[in-house]
Amino acid sequence: MSPKLLLPHRCKRIGWFLLIPATIMGIILSISDFEAFALNLQVPAIFNTEYFGSTRVFTWVTANVTNTITGAVFIAGAMLTAFSKEKTEDEFIGKTRLSSLLWAVYVNYVLLLLAFLFVYGASFLNVMIYNMFTVLIIFIARFNYILYKNTKTLPGEK
Amino acid sequence: MKNSIKVQRAIYGLTQEDLANKVQVSRQTINAMESNKYVPSTVLALKIAGVFNKTVEEIFMLDEDD
Repeated sequence: MSPKLLLPHRCKRIGWFLLIPATIMGIILSISDFEAFALNLQVPAIFNTEYFGSTRVFTWVTANVTNTITGAVFIAGAMLTAFSKEKTEDEFIGKTRLSSLLWAVYVNYVLLLLAFLFVYGASFLNVMIYNMFTVLIIFIARFNYILYKNTKTLPGEK
Repeated sequence: MKNSIKVQRAIYGLTQEDLANKVQVSRQTINAMESNKYVPSTVLALKIAGVFNKTVEEIFMLDEDD
């Protein structure tokens, strides 16, 4: 991958700093059925469809923004973590990055396919919620695991 | 592809980190090459051979599967 498409290395730390609290918050929210810490604010919306109502464009809506903020911080943090350069961004790391992206998309869609076939009803909404984040999560996990594995040397090695 | 990077490092008394710094790659890359998990680019192969004052063929050898 061309290093031009990657963010500076320092963004990685900022990314983790956003990603970890957002993940914890996301877990709390999913346990509480996305009702915890309700924060109702009036926010601008490009699209808003009321339940059983009409769709309005470019409007203001009152919504519980806790989920919105958590999701947005999570995505921003995950993107910073995923797409920042490593300290020494070299050819092996570039190759690992690309193979991890391929791997993440594969695994994500295999999981989604299984969920598509075997999850029905309201639970499918949960599948869709998690699926918004799984590509980035799988990518970050796989990429960092491979790099971590290669920092470990064999016994007796300097 | 096989390589003798580890042996050459031992001869020159270099750690993975030292070699990584000399050829401007990460230590993970040296480690992955030594454990035959990564085949370096021609540029990197030439740089590594240069560090050990050897030709590329003396450091890197084809495997039966190649």
